[in-house]
Amino acid sequence: MLMIKRILTLTLVLSLAGLAAWAQETFPRNDVKDSRAGLYAFTNATLVVDPQTTLTNATLLIKGERIEQVGANLAVPKGYTVIDCKGKFIYPSLIDIYTSYGLPEVERPRGGGFNRTEQIEPRNKGPYNANQAIRAHYNAADEFTVNAKAAEEWRKLGFGTVLTFKADGLARGTAAAVALTEQTENKNIIKARASAHYSFNKGSSTQDYPSSMMGYVAVLRQTYLDAEWFGAQNPRPFTDQSLEAWIQNQKLPQIFDAANWMGVLRADKIADEFGVRYIIKGGGDEYKRINDIKATGASFIVPVDFPEAYDVEDPYDAARTSLQDMKHWELAPTNLAALEKAGITFAITANGLKKVSDFMPNVRKAMENGLSEAAALKALTTTPAQMLQIDGQVGSLKKGMLASFLVTSGKIFDDKTIIHQNWIIGQPFALKSVDLRNFSGQYDLSVNNQNYKLEVSGEAGSHKAKVKVNDSTTVDATATFGNNLITLSFKPQKNSSNSVRLSGWSDDKGFKGKGQLADGAWINWSATRTGDLTAKGPDKKDAAPKKDEPGKVLYPFMAHGTTALPAVETLLIKNATVWTNEQEGILQNTDVLLKDGKIARIGKNLSEPGAKVVDGTGKHLTAGIIDEHSHIGALSINDVATNSGMVRIGDNIDAEDINIYQALGGGVVAVQVLHGSANPIGGQSGLIKLRWGETPENYKIAGADGFIKFALGENVKRSSNPQSIRYPQTRMGVEQVYVDAFTSAREYEKKWAAYNALPAAQKTAAAKPRRDLAEEAILEILNKKRFISCHSYVQSEINMLMKVAEQFNFRVNTFTHILEGYKVADKMKQHGVAASSFSDWWNYKWEVRYAIPYNAAILHNAGVVTAINSDDAEMGRRLNQEAAKSVKYGGMSEEDALKMVTLNPAKMLHLDGQMGSIKVGKSADVVLWSDHPLSVYAKAEKTIIDGKVYFDIEVDRQRNREIEVERARLVQKMIGVKKGGAPTQRPEPRQRVNFHCDDVLGVEHTEED
Amino acid sequence: MIMKKIFFFLTLISVVSVGTAQTPTPAKPQEKAIALIGGVAHLGNGQVIANSIVAFDKGKLTIVADATTARADLSGYEQINVQGKHIYPGFILPNSQIGLAEVSSIRAMNDATERGDLNPNVRALISYNTDSEYGPTFRYNGVLLAETTPTGGLISGSSSLMEMDGWNWEDAVHTADNALHLNWPPQIRRQFDFNTFTVNDAPNRDYDKQVMALHQLMADAQAYAQQAQRETNLKLEAVQPLFSGQRVLMVHADEPKEIVEAVRFGQKFGVKKITVVGGYGAPGVAQFLKENNIPVILASTHNLPNRADEDIDTPYKLPYLLQQAGVQVSLSQDGALHGARNLGFFAGTAVAYGVDKEEALKMITSNTAKALGVEARVGTLEAGKDATLFVSQGDALDYRSNSLTHAFIRGKAITLRNHQNELYERYAKKYGQMK
Repeated sequence: MLMIKRILTLTLVLSLAGLAAWAQETFPRNDVKDSRAGLYAFTNATLVVDPQTTLTNATLLIKGERIEQVGANLAVPKGYTVIDCKGKFIYPSLIDIYTSYGLPEVERPRGGGFNRTEQIEPRNKGPYNANQAIRAHYNAADEFTVNAKAAEEWRKLGFGTVLTFKADGLARGTAAAVALTEQTENKNIIKARASAHYSFNKGSSTQDYPSSMMGYVAVLRQTYLDAEWFGAQNPRPFTDQSLEAWIQNQKLPQIFDAANWMGVLRADKIADEFGVRYIIKGGGDEYKRINDIKATGASFIVPVDFPEAYDVEDPYDAARTSLQDMKHWELAPTNLAALEKAGITFAITANGLKKVSDFMPNVRKAMENGLSEAAALKALTTTPAQMLQIDGQVGSLKKGMLASFLVTSGKIFDDKTIIHQNWIIGQPFALKSVDLRNFSGQYDLSVNNQNYKLEVSGEAGSHKAKVKVNDSTTVDATATFGNNLITLSFKPQKNSSNSVRLSGWSDDKGFKGKGQLADGAWINWSATRTGDLTAKGPDKKDAAPKKDEPGKVLYPFMAHGTTALPAVETLLIKNATVWTNEQEGILQNTDVLLKDGKIARIGKNLSEPGAKVVDGTGKHLTAGIIDEHSHIGALSINDVATNSGMVRIGDNIDAEDINIYQALGGGVVAVQVLHGSANPIGGQSGLIKLRWGETPENYKIAGADGFIKFALGENVKRSSNPQSIRYPQTRMGVEQVYVDAFTSAREYEKKWAAYNALPAAQKTAAAKPRRDLAEEAILEILNKKRFISCHSYVQSEINMLMKVAEQFNFRVNTFTHILEGYKVADKMKQHGVAASSFSDWWNYKWEVRYAIPYNAAILHNAGVVTAINSDDAEMGRRLNQEAAKSVKYGGMSEEDALKMVTLNPAKMLHLDGQMGSIKVGKSADVVLWSDHPLSVYAKAEKTIIDGKVYFDIEVDRQRNREIEVERARLVQKMIGVKKGGAPTQRPEPRQRVNFHCDDVLGVEHTEED
Repeated sequence: MIMKKIFFFLTLISVVSVGTAQTPTPAKPQEKAIALIGGVAHLGNGQVIANSIVAFDKGKLTIVADATTARADLSGYEQINVQGKHIYPGFILPNSQIGLAEVSSIRAMNDATERGDLNPNVRALISYNTDSEYGPTFRYNGVLLAETTPTGGLISGSSSLMEMDGWNWEDAVHTADNALHLNWPPQIRRQFDFNTFTVNDAPNRDYDKQVMALHQLMADAQAYAQQAQRETNLKLEAVQPLFSGQRVLMVHADEPKEIVEAVRFGQKFGVKKITVVGGYGAPGVAQFLKENNIPVILASTHNLPNRADEDIDTPYKLPYLLQQAGVQVSLSQDGALHGARNLGFFAGTAVAYGVDKEEALKMITSNTAKALGVEARVGTLEAGKDATLFVSQGDALDYRSNSLTHAFIRGKAITLRNHQNELYERYAKKYGQMK
């Protein structure tokens, strides 16, 4: 026994690291042969085979890299080194499948910005993909290098296996599953191509496109299509090693880095479209939408990088910390429990932790918040192994599997547990000696014939010592206990700095040795054990701490969110001035009934059993405001390809944009979220109703027609960037972009028609044409299935686009901004296009020098369907006021003015069948105003969408108070945590950017549009 | 009905069209005395005369009185009946780049920002372009005076109050160099993070250095004044009027702590008149501002809250919150210059969110005059002050009724025409919408 214990001392273990038995046969040898059998028996252990199975008094036999036998009461054959694990636990080593261990750092992505020369084409060396962000050809195993220091960090935490990948690109290539020993890379790699990785982050790509969230989605979608087309052809049409690898990688587990809950839902949409299953790396905020997360059916990799509390002691500084961040601080540790409760399969990763050493404490924090021990263990062993399909090798302790396991002093997640050893593919790593002696007890200490009492407390390996100098005085002593040696120093007199310094050895009775007094004299000393420590009463700290109830999840998860989404109400608005926007005009003292989400009745003295009555006396009821041109509610709004028809705003609806709620407060019920104006052909619009609190998909207006943004003039010719090389640079070129796109789309249609017309037999033999998402969007325009809203300013270009459309036999749906529309109002009327304008903006750039506030009035008088839009979150919540300006400038009637922000935009968006006026049968999308809706003094008191009250001025007032109260509660809690010694962080909140047309990925411009 | 009337009126004034899309010819000095009879006079000091006589001669107000009680000799006055209409002092737009920046996206058309951090010696009025096309559009809505203000750096230079009419800057200037503008360095800077596509707050690492530079400038300026033998220093000279009270120190600051630091900075060096510009966080230090008698010029209140957690109406409520706390408030406009013609409607919004109408009017007239140090001559309708005023069909703070019939700058009858109504008429006529 004694000998075995000695093997386990650190020095010996280190020498084992190069055990010849494990060495690779093909490698050159620089020593004599040192081949050993590697037979070890671990006996008397509590052996956790897997999270469901625990054996007591069990034995584990290993031979070299693998497990030979596992079982209770196994006989140990001869020739085995026996390690007695009585009182110890054996667990499978932990697995983290989301690391970049042993790989070089990813180059920092460059900053964005307008003022540089565009990079249109990829800059790869070699035959790779047309988009630099598609790095499917990358294999982590090719670059993997053992990193002894990092491996040691991981091992200390109990990890034996990690999956390593390079977080670079939308398609990131493959990851390798590796063991954490210090042998060669060749020995450590368990599976060279273990999984394929994807993300919504272009990484180190320097190519301009894609530069937006929706562009990332478009590139991934196009690549799925390209791979299918490319893979179906033999021989291949050209060499593309990225596509080739992409095709191969499809057989592997697919891991998608989704970053947060909205990313999860976005990734899931791609998965559904292409019939793939992603294992999704989430952001640790799944609790915010647990039901939607569950509905994806995906399995997850979840971090435990819980935020630190914010330093909120100064009230002014604290104001900068958002409720969203504060609540996330409180609820992030509940995330894993929420996932477990919802029955979602998940693995846990240390990814994202600033200090890896926070890993176990944070897992324990999650357990304090409801995560079960079994689920935690599963998430670190069998689940990740199964996800990578390496569960036959690691993750549990069964015959034939790799010998990767932990020897611990107790249950693995217990905070007092010590990991003694971490064996990885048969290689032992000692962390803390298994046989630490426990010295706790009371001793009589004699130093140079002076007598003291010595008290040793704590656990083996972490003892503390106190010396009682006399009956009333006890002093702390500095002590170090080895199994054989002791060092002890203390100050016999409290007010003196003189220390007695002792060193010595342990024996059966206690300790003995030599020491020096303060004057340098050498003396003898001894300490004789007299008994155990007297048991203390229950530690006050351990008494079940009163747990305060954490705050509730809000929808959306931020200030002004709600705990419950609004329900459809039956509302009877009595005695209001009703602006019908219909032939009836403005009705005085009129009642309107909203029922089942529709406008049910309009009349006088209405009654409805069960209806909630709203007194409309002195108030005005109008159709809800609709903004034809908005950029709220999107994560990004501009991509940069000249033809960006393949990107879709709908792929990046931001359900957590405060601008949505602010707009509700201004009576807005629906907006067209338009792509920006960076390109002649922009992306596809998102038509949304402002259903605050819903998921991105639920914001969308079901069944709405498809729209697309076009843009003309200074922005698309990149006038603000003297370095620009992107085609087009003139309005002449802009026209050619369109003629080219429409011509090409017709060709595309012909190619497919020809293919589709082939008889079945020939079809299989023929090469299927490539699907092109941009061509398809343009073709939809030609086939009147998608409609253009075109950013436009000067008359020449407005005229041009109408002529191009006429040439291709369709009509432009809407000119948006259209500030010189008044110069070609007659032509616009003739073409049949609508106009959506600013009220009084001008002169912020050259092409709007002749913009006039009378524009809307002239267009309206010329018979053009005219709207006032915002393009701006601030103005977007005062559109009623902007409409009022056309009464001031141009003398429009008040009724017509209001239609410009209600019925007319509804017409432009083809929604006037269901919205835009107060008419029986239309959707109950209405606003109750405190005053005349065109007056500066009017406030929206209720904003109702689908018969649900999404904004109520009284509720808003109350909610402001609730925000204060909730913030105050969290501030108090954070201060408590800070006083308790936990680290805090400066309040450095992140905020989203308010977008305008010109913004490429949030690069804000001073010019408004 | 009201609207039709306004429309009718618009067509009426269009008859006296200037004819070309140019800035209108500046008005001639007042030739004869004028009396406006019967209008609702909003004096700009909180008072209203429902049926008033407002008379002026040689550019100065001579009579402001209640027509029902006053006995005034109006012989020699041209009498204009403005019954049912409203008379206001000209709105004053503070902290504007009027005349300095025209088409803001074109570098050549920007004259607002000189290079360097400390520019106390540069003077906005030197760049002031009387042919700016903005001016006539401001006048159209009642903005008759504007402070042209340099931007950038820690000290941007001095501003001047300009009249929205004049042949050249000497002619148009109302009060030269009324204030020196200091941009108090923010303690927190916002920066864009390309990894998360969000803006985040980060400490301003240069804060101490910047504050030190400001202290040094003021201390050196004070010492300079004492030096018997000295080499002329333009920058230190330019700071001197702050100590005598000839020039207001406009401290641009938004966060509560920055406001206090900036005001204390001015006080430490004995600056006589200090005004806070920006002031988003001023309600947090309202008591401090009140006790120290510091007025606030708020940045645009037609704005979004700075933070998602705030009441969505925060910018709209700022004037009310400050006024309730006893702080003198003015309204201004920042961002694209074209929006400044909506100054009156910012006051309207203040009314919607709690401020009394006449108090809101003060925020764009007399309060602003005081904050700019020009209250002796403008800001209210009081005998002896400049006859800078206008007549509106109705309430000038609401979109529905702001419609000017007359405007006077120092008694000069100014046209309300501008190139925008000319273009309107040209095309309305083309389409037969107007005869």
